[in-house]
Amino acid sequence: MKNVLPMLRTERGWSQQDLAERLGVSRQTVNALERGRYDPSLPLAFKVANLFDRRIEEVFTPGSDD
Amino acid sequence: MSERVMVAADSKVGSLYGFYLLALGAALVGNLLLRIGYREGWFGQPAGIVVALVSAVPLALAAGLFWRMVQRHLDEMLQRIVLEGFAFALVIFIPLAALYVNMATAGFRVPRLDAPDILLTPAILVALGIAISARRYR
Repeated sequence: MKNVLPMLRTERGWSQQDLAERLGVSRQTVNALERGRYDPSLPLAFKVANLFDRRIEEVFTPGSDD
Repeated sequence: MSERVMVAADSKVGSLYGFYLLALGAALVGNLLLRIGYREGWFGQPAGIVVALVSAVPLALAAGLFWRMVQRHLDEMLQRIVLEGFAFALVIFIPLAALYVNMATAGFRVPRLDAPDILLTPAILVALGIAISARRYR
């Protein structure tokens, strides 16, 4: 799964730790999400989309192997 | 899950991991003390039972803390890493144990395993499994 999380985060000047605190997850999880190593659960994906005031499909898009 | 709880989770994972290793060490030191103590006649069986119980207390405490941490302080990815660590340990340990038992039954010369070896194997496999899984998501 691809995502635009790093772009959205840096637009706001947030560090990974800042984003992690806002989402209520660990910094490692934010890092794994941004690198596409971990696909979030639906509730977490909605939380991310809501935080950036975007629709879920604007943040996460299927990768070639999804 | 509150933000404050998640911020604290990172350091808690590290400290619990360290505590777990220390607790495992305490159990092994207790076992060593019992072996040497009985051989050298340092204490009798009642005192030996006390040493056996006391040396296992840190592991029981670590187990309780671990259970609480998994339930309250780990986010979904960290829970998955822990789960994969246990799955790794299980899929390695069960076939190995079955192989060991069958080879021994067949009369093949297998290494003699003492209680500490049996205690250490799954503990090390879980730690290894968690480390491998955490690396995949890094």
